[in-house]
Amino acid sequence: MSLVADHLGLQAGTRTLVESLDLALEPGEVLGALGANGAGKSTLLAVLAGLALPARGQVTLDGQPLTDLPPLTRAQHIGLLPQGDEGGFFGSVADFVALGHFPFDVAQGRLFDNAPDLAPHLAAWELTDLARRPLDTLSGGERQRARLAQLAAQQPRIALLDEPLTHLDPAHQARLLAWARGEADAGRSVVLTLHDPNWAACHCDRLLFLYGDGRWRLGTPADLLTPASLEALYGPGTAALWQKSDRIQPV
Amino acid sequence: MALAAIALGLMAGALPDDHELAMQILTELRGPRVAAAFACGGLLALAGALMQTLFRNPLAEPYLLGVSGGAGLLALLGMAAGLAWPWVSALAFAGSLLALVLAAALGGRLLARDHTPLLLAGVMLAAGFGALIALVLSVAPAERLPGMLFFLMGDLAWTDQPALLWAALLLAVAATLALSRRLDVLQLSPLKAASLGVPVAPTRWMLFTLAGACTALVVAQAGSIGFVGLMVPHALRKTGFAGHRVLLPAAALAGGSLLVLADALARTVIAPRELPVGVLTALLGVPVMLWLLRKP
Repeated sequence: MSLVADHLGLQAGTRTLVESLDLALEPGEVLGALGANGAGKSTLLAVLAGLALPARGQVTLDGQPLTDLPPLTRAQHIGLLPQGDEGGFFGSVADFVALGHFPFDVAQGRLFDNAPDLAPHLAAWELTDLARRPLDTLSGGERQRARLAQLAAQQPRIALLDEPLTHLDPAHQARLLAWARGEADAGRSVVLTLHDPNWAACHCDRLLFLYGDGRWRLGTPADLLTPASLEALYGPGTAALWQKSDRIQPV
Repeated sequence: MALAAIALGLMAGALPDDHELAMQILTELRGPRVAAAFACGGLLALAGALMQTLFRNPLAEPYLLGVSGGAGLLALLGMAAGLAWPWVSALAFAGSLLALVLAAALGGRLLARDHTPLLLAGVMLAAGFGALIALVLSVAPAERLPGMLFFLMGDLAWTDQPALLWAALLLAVAATLALSRRLDVLQLSPLKAASLGVPVAPTRWMLFTLAGACTALVVAQAGSIGFVGLMVPHALRKTGFAGHRVLLPAAALAGGSLLVLADALARTVIAPRELPVGVLTALLGVPVMLWLLRKP
């Protein structure tokens, strides 16, 4: 038992996005959430992170409602990678990554000394050479790596990632995959939203389809990823996008 | 740097040959004025740094939310009515608080997620106060206009509470230093900051209140001295002072030094007459700022 959503209802204004979602996140699993734009993927992640209230139902961590947890305690267990917005940050890449360690620094009474050992996180995302650069001079993909390293520095037991593949080149998509698998193997849970069924098929243990009208489906990639179900999710004609991948010769 | 600025501020300007009279001028007139200038500059730069963090924008400055407009309007009305300085000062303080309360009431609802409504409310209030100030200026008796203009541009000749300003400066620096790591996190998006355990709305209200109080105090003592609060924290961030733990004390020191220097110039350039120090801060600040912007 870790993070459990119980009869969750999500609304956007008067529109119902998700109705009666029951989801128990298993330690050691990578769960992918798929759905059209505006189907409620980001809203779901914010609710699972305890940062937004659901319209109905509740989310518990080890049986305790998220609303009962002090923010800092929650931040020591649950990490969120929201979609990018670093407009207000003026420091270096190393400063940025170090902020991920904030929940632990405060818990340990370290108000000023912010020198956690960042080297492994910087190295893991190939940021060592960029560490002293101002964050706003980085490319989109490099910035995404910095955001991932910041999340890794938080070391959350539950990692919720909103479109983590954004801007990443194939090498760093592989790096993300290895990281997610490593987290899962260490008994932690990873939830990510994505738009690539191939990636989901290869690397997720379970999938959640959000249809944006209240309906949802939870299952294994083998169960959910058929041309018909993808067209039901994304609209007619979309399955053709993934049907010619045999053009690239298998290695 | 700060010490050199203070020494220069004390030395600038003519002193009589009579040793005793010179000492008296230094300790009773120039000393308190330099002290007040340093504290005002420090408070403005600190308030500017806090506003830039609150609004996640390097162009934010202490007067963004109409503080100077509210203060200016009430102070000018007091001057037009012929009130003495302590009353004008009190009116300016009340005007600042009025502007802050209005901005908070009109735009503060969504501060946990979005600071744009607060920003828009403040900018609208500033515009409204600006129009009313122009109205007061256009109907005020001519002999009171110079005093009004000096207040609007900022002038340190009126300051009579250097001890109060210093107490506020030290208190504000200490309070924000204790918050410095939280403020670092607050530079991230509200959602990300909240996910790291920072209570976004309470911390933002704390910033708003602290920056507003610092600014209101300075405006009530010295009018709307411009540019220090925008330029000093911005320039420091550009030159690598990113973390609040170093940025905030550095801003207080640099802002104080800049205003002492500007005031020394304001007193001496066309002595025995004085210029409003706000003119000098802008004249010194604009070229520095433009030079900094050229840097990649």
